[in-house]
Amino acid sequence: MIVTLAQIDFRPEFWLYPLTDQHMLMGTLTSVLVGMTCGVLGCFVVLRRMALIGDALSHAVLPGVVIAFLVTKDTGIVGLLFGALLAGLATAVLINLVSHHSRTKEDSAIGIVFTALFALGLVLISNLPRGTHFDLKCFVFGIPEAVGLSDLILMAVISMIVLTTVAMLYHPMKLISFDPVVAAAMGLPVLASHYLLMGMISATVVAGLKTTGVVLVVAMVITPASAAYQLCNRFSSMLVLAGVFGALSALVGMVLAYVVNVPSGPSMVLVATAIFGMAMLLSPKHGVVFRRIRRWRHRQHIEEEDVIKAIHKLAEERIDAAPAAIAGQSRLAVERVLRVLRGLRHNRLIANSGDGVALTESGERRAIELVRAHRLWESYLADRANVPAADVHEQAEVLEHAHELADEVDETLGHPGVDPHGTPIPAQKQP
Amino acid sequence: MTTTRTQPRVVPPVATASPAIAVHNLTVSYLERPVLRSVTMEVERGQLVGIIGPNGAGKSTLLKAVLGLIDIDSGMARIYGEPISQARNRVAYVPQTSAVDWDFPVTVRDVVLMGRYGRLGWVRRPSRADRTATSESLERVGMTDFADRHIRQLSGGQQQRVFLARALCQQADVMLLDEPFAGVDAATERAIFDLFHKLTAERCTLLVVNHDLGVLEKFDRLLLLNQRVIAYGPAHEVATEANIQRTYGGRLSLLDRAENALREAT
Repeated sequence: MIVTLAQIDFRPEFWLYPLTDQHMLMGTLTSVLVGMTCGVLGCFVVLRRMALIGDALSHAVLPGVVIAFLVTKDTGIVGLLFGALLAGLATAVLINLVSHHSRTKEDSAIGIVFTALFALGLVLISNLPRGTHFDLKCFVFGIPEAVGLSDLILMAVISMIVLTTVAMLYHPMKLISFDPVVAAAMGLPVLASHYLLMGMISATVVAGLKTTGVVLVVAMVITPASAAYQLCNRFSSMLVLAGVFGALSALVGMVLAYVVNVPSGPSMVLVATAIFGMAMLLSPKHGVVFRRIRRWRHRQHIEEEDVIKAIHKLAEERIDAAPAAIAGQSRLAVERVLRVLRGLRHNRLIANSGDGVALTESGERRAIELVRAHRLWESYLADRANVPAADVHEQAEVLEHAHELADEVDETLGHPGVDPHGTPIPAQKQP
Repeated sequence: MTTTRTQPRVVPPVATASPAIAVHNLTVSYLERPVLRSVTMEVERGQLVGIIGPNGAGKSTLLKAVLGLIDIDSGMARIYGEPISQARNRVAYVPQTSAVDWDFPVTVRDVVLMGRYGRLGWVRRPSRADRTATSESLERVGMTDFADRHIRQLSGGQQQRVFLARALCQQADVMLLDEPFAGVDAATERAIFDLFHKLTAERCTLLVVNHDLGVLEKFDRLLLLNQRVIAYGPAHEVATEANIQRTYGGRLSLLDRAENALREAT
């Protein structure tokens, strides 16, 4: 049962129990290692668009595990691992065979092979001799409480092997993931690296089965790596960050599962998903949040320039630049104008004068720059873009904010003296 | 490298001057449909050869067959008289830019450095010399200013130049290029041709798959291809209206129809 907030124990020693209790600690450490290793391997899976293969491997190891169980007569982890590795490699080979020797595309081939193997596993389980105990539920959903020292040691060995391999083969594996055809043309062993990757994923997945279970372990492969993908421009940083995210998901997931009293596998997956969600929102380049902020800043910048121009215009017409007059001139609401004016005053672009405001020297420079850009764009639109004279003003109202390009426009047009309405264009600003 | 060999050569070349690229009677099919039929051609060292033909003519397949990336039904391809497996380091391949994911987390410099990986093999790390070669290649294609950008920020022409720089970085003397002018503006196209002519002057051999019929005279030789070799020879002789009509005409020759009939009968 999920507990309500009031029922949660907030004593630190209760929260740290998964790290302080010796038995819980083994489950936690194993999960953290699984999370880290899955995260690192997940980078290759995500970048090579093999997410479906991750799912396939985790399901397809079932018959391997059952057969190993039948042969060795116990759930000793080494036997299971061996069975899973063989099943994993068999999956990879079968997928290759089906997609290369029939019209079937790779994604369908993956679907056919892993479901068949999983079904085979289920049939084998139902035919186990009476009295043997094979806990399918444990296999499907994971039970980290059942993790023992041997699992922890095994996982430590597997993560060490995987991380060393990735570090040693970092460069060729990067090229093979980015551009497998060119890698093959250079003579790099593309197929061997594919099977190596499949083998490493199978081993990690089977070691991770006890912590998250077959259904959810694929999330530990794909989700932390996808979160890192949102944030990184370098392959090396993506590998590191994905490992950190994986480990963090496992650690936080274990603690929360204990505190809130829910199964730990799903809890880890939900933490990983939360990290992914945050990465999606916060990614500096593509993130929703930063895009909103950039758009907001841009709009603010445009409003600012519109207000500066309005004050300039009012001053030319010798009208007091009171907020209401500015609002009328710039077509902004009065409260927007007031807010913009505060900002401009802060930046010393305007100062109070009489009943209204006046541009300071630097404010005046900005205004002239804008007027110049506006008139140059008007000339450009009339001259080069065949826009009717009646329409140039409206369009130039937008284009003037691209005043960085004004000098180029001036150059292109051969330094015109007046705009299409016959008004003089201010000269280029003095440096 | 070619002096002591234990295996017998299949093609008996004149020992002193094997052509840079030799394709002999090459036939390739995909799912039992022929893509290339009995293609034979030789490219002398230092030539710039264009491959012209419609979609599905087997242009890219020809490059991949020469590179040994696909199974061939019959025939052979040689680089300086040797099978490709013996000559990997002499050949650089520039795939179509659409073949890779331009969101992949690497910078321009990372991609160009990848040109050295063939020499590095499995475990060796890039050395200072490799990094110098990378900078020089970037300089040659005018991409130095973009070196530390992420590749997703590049335009079509810049993507092509990055791929060219990666190939230059391989310091190969045979280059196979698949549509290096796709998505490229006129100025970049001129710059790339200038680079090609400099490379051929350095005795580098270039085989270029091309779509654009407007630049045919810039190649030394042309291969007009539509599954078969329609014509192969010096550009000014081969690029005739009639040949291009035959290449793009799409009508099956008697030979094709005979082969189709025989295939269906079996």
